[in-house]
Amino acid sequence: MLTAEEWQIVGLSLRVAGCALLAMAIPGIILGWILARSRFPGKSLLDALVHLPLVLPPVVTGWLLLIALGRHSPLGRILNDWFGWRFVFDWKGAVVAAAVMALPLLVRAVRLAIELQDRDLERAAATCGAAPWRVAATVTLPLAAPGILAGLVLAFARCLGEFGATITLAGNIPGESRTLPVAIYSFTQMPDGDAAVWRLVGLSLAVSVLALVGSEWLARKLGNRVGSL
Amino acid sequence: MILEIDASVQREAFALAVKVRLDQPATGVFGPSGAGKSTLLHLICGLVRPERGRVVLDGIVLDDVAAGIHVPTHRRRIGVVFQHGHLLPHLSVSGNLRYGERLLPIADHRFAFEDVVRLLDISHLLDRRPRTLSGGERQRVALGRALLCSPRLLLLDEPLAALDQALKRQILPYLRRVREHFAIPILYVSHDLGELLQVCDHLLLIDRGAVAGQGTLVDLAKDARLLPRLHEAGLVNVLRGRVLRHDPGEGLTQVELVGGPQVACALRREAPGTAIDLLLRPEDIALALAVVPGISLQNQLPGRITAMVDAGDRVLVTIDVGQPLLTEVSARAVAQLGLAVGRPVVGLFKAVALASRSGGSARFGAEDS
Repeated sequence: MLTAEEWQIVGLSLRVAGCALLAMAIPGIILGWILARSRFPGKSLLDALVHLPLVLPPVVTGWLLLIALGRHSPLGRILNDWFGWRFVFDWKGAVVAAAVMALPLLVRAVRLAIELQDRDLERAAATCGAAPWRVAATVTLPLAAPGILAGLVLAFARCLGEFGATITLAGNIPGESRTLPVAIYSFTQMPDGDAAVWRLVGLSLAVSVLALVGSEWLARKLGNRVGSL
Repeated sequence: MILEIDASVQREAFALAVKVRLDQPATGVFGPSGAGKSTLLHLICGLVRPERGRVVLDGIVLDDVAAGIHVPTHRRRIGVVFQHGHLLPHLSVSGNLRYGERLLPIADHRFAFEDVVRLLDISHLLDRRPRTLSGGERQRVALGRALLCSPRLLLLDEPLAALDQALKRQILPYLRRVREHFAIPILYVSHDLGELLQVCDHLLLIDRGAVAGQGTLVDLAKDARLLPRLHEAGLVNVLRGRVLRHDPGEGLTQVELVGGPQVACALRREAPGTAIDLLLRPEDIALALAVVPGISLQNQLPGRITAMVDAGDRVLVTIDVGQPLLTEVSARAVAQLGLAVGRPVVGLFKAVALASRSGGSARFGAEDS
């Protein structure tokens, strides 16, 4: 059904999206939690910074990442010299672009899920002798889990679809940074690419619908267990 | 238990400034809504931080603003039963009950799980989820969860306020059982005096963010300034006694009160010998100078006037009938009968005026059971 090249594209896309999800899951949950619960000077600045990729043209985000992580920036040099990590025209650049672009979706979902929690339950747990970290782990997190999970699925789907920042930072190199959307774009530019476009578009649709249905199912299952839905 | 509080809490539209020492096994806290009852409880369990002052429980400093001490809630070992239970919805009843117990070293466990479950009649609920419980079941589980944390002090924050009258009547005996079986100090907040008096002998009146009075009901009733507050909270006599016998033919149950006197109330279901609390509103009692023959009132309790408090048009007269009985008569009746402290009188009331539920619904006593 798919050609070897197309399979490679799908594999790369899944790897990029998976790595991006792994990279942003913990920071995303922590950021969402902080934005929901903490009050500190500079909070609105942090909030704006996290959400910036949602409103900026993705190409601009990609270009800013290119500047920040390129060989000529201090950060890019440190990452290259110490870890041997390159981001420009590299699949790791696609991971960073996807993670930065999808992070706001995850943070918003986590923040909403935490804000919806009944603080009285946490107070009750505290009167039972549970320290704040234990309250977070045994009350807040399990009860917010459906919302957090839905955010993770949404973020994963966003990673799979990332185009503008990816092509700006990581380029369009087959096997390296030619992810699903980048490949679809490339095939539309080729005279004989129609059939490949159809197949990849169909695949994208299938993956997206699967992700949505899956997240709904997981949320409902968790919701039943938790009793909050 | 000795709880000493001398602290203030400042909120935008509200201030609580309390100086009180509580040393009774069970104290009932009452007062108008918004007076600061719940804030006081939150101060004690550490959910609210005082701006000034100290909170000391049994010699252990929980709060001392000057010394920079604030023991966080989870280290206070003070159990709380909230108005809405606040059971954890993702855990089973058993998981909820064990939630706090698990966090304690075994050596600190004061009550056995099985004992608590049996006493509160919740053994059949252990595998259920909180959302499948009725309001009354939920509060029993919440009570069990708080007990199994082996607290040094148990706070009850309007635990029955969300329940209807019939359920309140079902839960109150459990609260009494807890007080009797587990030697655990209780601070019970409610806006309903009748409810409090069935569990506590000692009362604390909070009004406008400060302590307005402290003592037994009879103590508080001696202060004319407090009478409006007592009336708002549903001033009621709680007569302790036990069932003597039933007379179904007459529709009456005979009850022997603590201190000797015998009264008749509307027919009840409890077996003879059962301990029972009867609620009687002061305004449902009439006073006479001697026993009145040929009258439908079933109860005539002779006693002696121990206190009289003038509340404007009405006078609150306390008579000792073996236990103190608060009665309320008009100023005119006082003049007509020549009532005075030390005078022997007879308190008269209908059998149906004796109810077993709180909430000032004594006049519906006949519908009981």
